[in-house]
Amino acid sequence: MSWASVAAARLLGLFKRKRLERELDAEVRFHLEMQVDDNVRAGMKPEEARYAALRSFGGIDPVKEAYREGRAFSVVETTAQDVRYALRTLRGSPGFTITALAVLGLAIGINTAMFSVLNAVLLRPLPYRSPEQLVMLWSQDPGKDMRGTTGYWNVEQWRRQNNSFVDLAFFDGVSATLTTADRAEKISAIRSSASLFEVLGVQPLHGRIFTAEEAEQRQRLALISHRFWQSHFGGSFDAIGTNVHVDGAPSQIIGILPADFRFSDVDVWEPHTMYPEWEASLRNLRGVGFWAVLGRLRPNVTVEQAQAEMNAIAGRLDEQMPPGQRNRAIAVVPLSLHVVGARPRLALRMLAGAVFLVLLIAATNVASLSLARSASREREMAIRAALGASRTRIIRQLLAESLALSVTAGFLGLLVAYACIRVILAAKPGNLPGLNEVSLDSYVLGCALALCLLTGILVGLTPALTAVRRDLKPSSQEGGKGVAGGAATLHTRRVLVLGEFSLAIILLAGAGLLVRSLLSVQNVDLGFRPERVLSVSLAPRASTTPAQRNSFYRSVIEQVESVPGVESAGVTSELFLSGSGTRIVTVEGDTQRTSERRPLRSDELSEGLFKTVRTPLLKGRFFEPADGSPDSPLAAIVNETMARNLWPGGDPVGKRFKFGPQNSKLPWFTVVGVVGDMRRQGLEKEPISQMFEPLAQNPPGRAILLVRTSMADPLSIAGAVQEAVRRVEKYAPVYATTTLESQLDASLAERRFQTTLLVGFSVAAFVIAAIGIYGLIQYSVVTRTREIGIRIALGAQSGQIVRMIMGEGLKLSLAGMALGLLGAVWIGRAGSSLLFGVTATDPLTFVTVSLLLTAVAAAACYFPARRAMKLEPTAALRQQ
Amino acid sequence: MKKAQTEKAEVLQGTLILLVLRTVETLGPQHGYGIARRIEQISNDVLQLNQGTLYPALLRMEQEGWISSKWGASEKNRKARFYSITAAGRRRLAKETEDWKRMSSTIERFLISDQASLAEEAG
Repeated sequence: MSWASVAAARLLGLFKRKRLERELDAEVRFHLEMQVDDNVRAGMKPEEARYAALRSFGGIDPVKEAYREGRAFSVVETTAQDVRYALRTLRGSPGFTITALAVLGLAIGINTAMFSVLNAVLLRPLPYRSPEQLVMLWSQDPGKDMRGTTGYWNVEQWRRQNNSFVDLAFFDGVSATLTTADRAEKISAIRSSASLFEVLGVQPLHGRIFTAEEAEQRQRLALISHRFWQSHFGGSFDAIGTNVHVDGAPSQIIGILPADFRFSDVDVWEPHTMYPEWEASLRNLRGVGFWAVLGRLRPNVTVEQAQAEMNAIAGRLDEQMPPGQRNRAIAVVPLSLHVVGARPRLALRMLAGAVFLVLLIAATNVASLSLARSASREREMAIRAALGASRTRIIRQLLAESLALSVTAGFLGLLVAYACIRVILAAKPGNLPGLNEVSLDSYVLGCALALCLLTGILVGLTPALTAVRRDLKPSSQEGGKGVAGGAATLHTRRVLVLGEFSLAIILLAGAGLLVRSLLSVQNVDLGFRPERVLSVSLAPRASTTPAQRNSFYRSVIEQVESVPGVESAGVTSELFLSGSGTRIVTVEGDTQRTSERRPLRSDELSEGLFKTVRTPLLKGRFFEPADGSPDSPLAAIVNETMARNLWPGGDPVGKRFKFGPQNSKLPWFTVVGVVGDMRRQGLEKEPISQMFEPLAQNPPGRAILLVRTSMADPLSIAGAVQEAVRRVEKYAPVYATTTLESQLDASLAERRFQTTLLVGFSVAAFVIAAIGIYGLIQYSVVTRTREIGIRIALGAQSGQIVRMIMGEGLKLSLAGMALGLLGAVWIGRAGSSLLFGVTATDPLTFVTVSLLLTAVAAAACYFPARRAMKLEPTAALRQQ
Repeated sequence: MKKAQTEKAEVLQGTLILLVLRTVETLGPQHGYGIARRIEQISNDVLQLNQGTLYPALLRMEQEGWISSKWGASEKNRKARFYSITAAGRRRLAKETEDWKRMSSTIERFLISDQASLAEEAG
């Protein structure tokens, strides 16, 4: 009760400081006057009365001080005093303050922005219930590090035999055609078990979720995403109960999923049983299949425990698997790790580390600057000490200064971070999930505050400690020699600059390695020529026969090739691949390599496709119109990798192979040609085995139309190409119109973004380090003015002086570099999976950045050295 | 004068509160100088108050809620701050008085018994 009323009064006291101070004055004055009057009345002379009054009062200032301490919280008061004083001091030296604010504000800003990315992509939990319990289960080929979807039968067995999971759900993402009254479009759909939503822990926003019974009854039901609801129904609740036509058949919308439910970019969810034929064909598949499996761990079951149990289950199931499907493991992967893979994680962490190094360099630099200041303020400190400021009070004062600096810098940093985030949102680098949700939330702001405090302490600690070490003696010894405290702080500053250089070279080397990687990726041989090629996705109308599809594609190619500006056109089922399937291949007459599962991609394409993308024919021939007709044998073209794998050292043309093991009933393919490898899985992935069938042999349900044009910008005839397609089929879905170059460019976006960031960071670090060494050498020259003057007076040549000064700087930078290169090698190893076409210890990069840094250090030292050289010895000697 | 001063005692820390509360209780609202004078007079100038220390004590007591203050006009029509006792202050005064009495009687007993035992030993 009592402490509360005191605290309340003191809290008020904080705000009423001025008034209370005035009142105390009045009260004391009144007291003294009364006393003087009484004294006079008692017979004293006025002067005497006054002294007596003061004597009996006992010293006004200590009383006032005691009164003030009682008035409010003295810690708050003295801190406020420290801060006010700090702000005044900082205003007093605008040069230092502006430099420090700019450097620190920038550093804190980009750190905050980087952290907000890290937060959005890696730290924020996924928008599902208890997301840490969610895992993906993949079928895995232990020898080949391939993870894949699995078959129906396997999922059933996993589900039945395990004790680790509350439940397993399975799904397959497909691309489907949505038809409305007047148009058709591609949407992305998921066919899933009814348990998917239960496992994810997601409730629909409106309506309901389909049940296991409904799925079993093959009811045609659909759930739609919030986005799809908005775009197709304008957010109207009438959507529930209406039909959507997906792949030619109507299904009834029964529910709308909430807006924050993110699951790739799926529009429509359907029961997996809705397509009887499709499903029946998968039902008995053992081993590899189409299902991605999601599981929710039971509480208190770890991923490791689940993995151990699934290992045992995999072992048991192995015996019941067909020969080619044996030796499969089951991989249990936390969902978060599935959503953002290991490599983007590593890249983000490396970038966050890099940006933190920039902050360290910036803080070091400002510490070094304020050290120089604190040396020249030594007398001020000594006077303050003599006047009774305690050592802690002086340290507090210095820390208050650096904290005032860093907190102000923090506010600037927030502006910088906000701007950075806007840029990131606008640029959308790469396709990291969650990047769209980057924002300055409370977590990020907390981190920014922590960064500010850390920076403040880093910046203030060195000067404060140096001040303490020097024991706050009046600086009589050094006071007379121009700049006070020179030697002591110079040593500390050398260490700081050395640190800056070693950190800067780590960043610079990392940036160099990434730049070289980017160049290697850009120069990689694609196996095709993407320039001036337009890419359009299209599909014939739903429920067409293979023959109808074949003739649709042929007519489209014919129509498109008649468009002015088109050189040639071709159709393929897919160009760029997001994953790879695996097949068992049996080669005729080869008994050794059968029953071996290998990554293999199979696609159908028109005769003109290889010519359109300029993929070279190495052996045999391209397809001809006659290939793929029902009466001719199945033809195939294989890529170089497949030829090398299946017919090592031999000529595959004319040879035969089939899918499945030796006894499989599947038909034989005859190889008619070998083409060069195309990098279709991304620029950085080695091509896998690929085979191609003629279009007519197996016309796909949708395809990519590639058009080589004579236009610098192929998009300029995109309209004409679309019209040509519509002439064949009025409502054919035509979508994803783009150019091959921009697609490749987009695939590079993430790497380019990372590289740009790291280059930016390292340039910033580099500039700061250069300023640091310049400031140091400049300072050193000023401190040694007398010494240099004497040397010149004694006949030192100007060359000698320059060598002496520059030697000092270069020695430092070289030492820093040596240290930094060790660090760079170590960090390069850790991040080597981010590199492409260059080793983590690439000598060229290391030599280049070392030379660059040396050159800049030399330039930074040259100007102070020249100044030293031009010193007038008499003036130098006279200088105090 | 000189001699008298040597016999003056410093006001004990803690007793100041008792003295102030007692003063404003008996005299009604008083300004700081009045309180100081009263303490010195009542003690026949034996208690030497370091007058300045009175003000931090008054502040503290006001924060505790034992006294309240108001600006008013003094006898000579000058602006002064008057302190008066509050209900909480009266309770506090009762408690302080109680404590003091107990304390002083204890010490007194101690001194008497001490003298007695000394007398015994001497005897």
